[in-house]
Amino acid sequence: MSKLTDMQKGAEGTVVSVSGDARFVSRITSIGLTPGCKVSMIKNEKNRPILVYSRDTMIALNRKDCSNIEMEVTA
Amino acid sequence: MTADNEYVIALLGQPNSGKSTLFNALTGMHQHVGNWPGKTVEKKEGSFKREDKKYIVADLPGTYSLSANSDEEMITRDYIASGKADVVCILADSSQLSRSLYMLADYAGITVPCFLLLNMSDVAALQGKTIDAKALEKKLGIPVVPFSAPDRKSYDGFYTALNRALIKQSKLDYTVLEEKYANIEGFNELKNIIPEGVISGYSKTWLAIKAIEGDVPVIAKIKEKLSAENVKTLEKIIVSIKNGVVVAGESKFAWIDELLEGSVKSEKKSASLGKFDRLVTHKIWGKIVVIAIIFGGLLLSFIPALPFMGIGQGISAIPDPLSDILIGIGCPKIIVSLFCDIFIRCISFVVQMLGFVFGVTLVFGLLEEIGLMARVSYVFDNSMSKFGLQGKSVMPFLISFGCTMGGAAGTRVIDNWGQKVLTIALSWAIPCGAAWAVIPLLSTIFFGAWAPVIILAILIVMILHICVTGFIFGRFLVKPEERYGMIMELPPYHKPRWGALLRYVFGRTKDTFLRATKVVLLVAFVFWLLSFTKDGNIANSLLYKFGHFVEPATKLVGMSWQSFLAFLASSLGKEGALGVLSMLYTNSGTLTLGSLMAAEKASNFNELMLANISRPEGLALIFAMTFNMPCIVALAATYQETHSAKWTAIIGVYYTVVALLLAGAAYYIGLLIF
Ligand SMILES: Nc1nc2c(ncn2[C@@H]2O[C@H](COP(=O)(O)OP(=O)(O)O)[C@@H](O)[C@H]2O)c(=O)[nH]1
Repeated sequence: MSKLTDMQKGAEGTVVSVSGDARFVSRITSIGLTPGCKVSMIKNEKNRPILVYSRDTMIALNRKDCSNIEMEVTA
Repeated sequence: MTADNEYVIALLGQPNSGKSTLFNALTGMHQHVGNWPGKTVEKKEGSFKREDKKYIVADLPGTYSLSANSDEEMITRDYIASGKADVVCILADSSQLSRSLYMLADYAGITVPCFLLLNMSDVAALQGKTIDAKALEKKLGIPVVPFSAPDRKSYDGFYTALNRALIKQSKLDYTVLEEKYANIEGFNELKNIIPEGVISGYSKTWLAIKAIEGDVPVIAKIKEKLSAENVKTLEKIIVSIKNGVVVAGESKFAWIDELLEGSVKSEKKSASLGKFDRLVTHKIWGKIVVIAIIFGGLLLSFIPALPFMGIGQGISAIPDPLSDILIGIGCPKIIVSLFCDIFIRCISFVVQMLGFVFGVTLVFGLLEEIGLMARVSYVFDNSMSKFGLQGKSVMPFLISFGCTMGGAAGTRVIDNWGQKVLTIALSWAIPCGAAWAVIPLLSTIFFGAWAPVIILAILIVMILHICVTGFIFGRFLVKPEERYGMIMELPPYHKPRWGALLRYVFGRTKDTFLRATKVVLLVAFVFWLLSFTKDGNIANSLLYKFGHFVEPATKLVGMSWQSFLAFLASSLGKEGALGVLSMLYTNSGTLTLGSLMAAEKASNFNELMLANISRPEGLALIFAMTFNMPCIVALAATYQETHSAKWTAIIGVYYTVVALLLAGAAYYIGLLIF
């Protein structure tokens, strides 16, 4: 298991767990990043928002907020 | 139903699902925009007629879910519970179906009749996705229609589905979802202790899952109806559940995935960024490209604006000769002055401004439509979120260096009302093109080669002003507890729909014309009353008396009554202020509204200024004029975009007061230096 923020560009994985404050969790759930969901990392550069692709959607995420998303990296 | 043959439709969908496009197409010019009572959230209502029936359309605030994290979500929930809506139209984005069906899943358990629009079906088709709407309809028990909001042809399907939903009172079938919920520990127990009718329109299933999600208002409502013993049970269940939102979300998406299985086919595509997106998301190039796009857009806006400006300027040439003629044929002077000074001059002003509003709405509406504004938002999200704003707010800010009303018109792409008002409030602090024409001139007169230092000081004060104002206004408009870091989708690029776009732009321009004219006429009339004299002698006007009366106070901030009147004139338009100064110090000419708005400055203006105004006073005047209300039309544009007389007045008064305070500060600093 590894953190979403540690995934390399081009890597794919499945969300294992999501945690954080209530508003963040609610919002990230409503955009579809729930446990079991497949995610590919599009862009991950230091000090920049990360870009992931999931459920047919390109999503930009604040790096700090999603430090608590755990992933199972598959590729 | 509110009356016979009258039905209320509520539109529900996540942001970017196409709600506004649908709303505008359905209601056309029959819409009313206001605010939800006591809330900083926009309320849009409209209506349309079809086959002898009248339909009221309520555009619910765009939210991602039906939780209780924001005013928008609470308003949406309360509206549905109020029973006002006969039917709820739920929008989903066909090109990102699984993600955007979350709203439907969150709706499951609400008993108000509904139907599902699969919007953006054209985009989905382009991506090679096929969606079997009939199969979904069978599983969901409600009408499901493929749809494309900008495409007139797809509306027949909409009307048919609407009627079917109304006639059948079609309710969403959520038995499969409920089976999934049942696997969540405590769900069944919880559902069994909840009595019927806790909130009308919301089933026990819906209430139970919200309670599991830790929804505070729902839990409180349930508790009101429970015996003391059951309250304990409820609390025990809730405490034992960790991460209720995630667990419930898993069930919802599992339901969605099952729903779509076999009903949606797509060619697997691997995701990657296009060339342009790689550039935009680049650490350094991103910002440069975005700023270049905005300035390019600003320049482009001038092309459609030019004809308007020409016409406006043509109109502004009418009053002088016309008033001569009218007076010549014996019209009473007061009527001539009212008609020429107020009416024609205001129309000229408003028409010139319309050009800008038209250009900005068209160009930036186009950029929004294509999907570029979302990239702008991405690039500047970090900087703007410090004020509680979206990254898009950077666009109105940059436009405001040219023209504040253009900036105000540009805030249309911001979909959150509080953020929109905050953006406008902050963009007022940015000196506009007219200020940039006046300020360097005054600075050079008073400070010669030191003028660049003054300009620099103005830029620094501008930044501080934005920070302080952002802090003060932000607390009310974008509640700090409702802010979070960026979680946003980068939508795919869309081809522009010129027809829909132009209809929208013309509609808005006409709307702006009507509203702005009202505000401008009103303010101009007040100024006219204040400045009117029978004989043209300034000393007989109320404005002069007022200026004299408050001079002891304005002296405190380094302003003589002449400077103060020029300051007041600069809130109508900065260009007029220099003319007013010339007139007051040479004691020539008549002070009329016309001269307040557009007088020529005297040929010996420099000497006049230096002879009558000391350098600290000059500094005060410069700061007062720079940070004053940008102009009367910006005020009107602010009202038009915020449609809140209250916030427009607050912003206006705030800026006037702050400008005077800044003038005072500049004056005393000036006294120390010079
Ligand atoms: N191609 C296409 N574009 C659409 C469709 N519906 C909406 N759009 C575009 O998608 C963007 C977002 O739509 P909008 O109505 O503002 O969404 P809202 O945030 O839900 O109000 C706009 O640029 C629309 O022109 C559609 O069915 N097909």
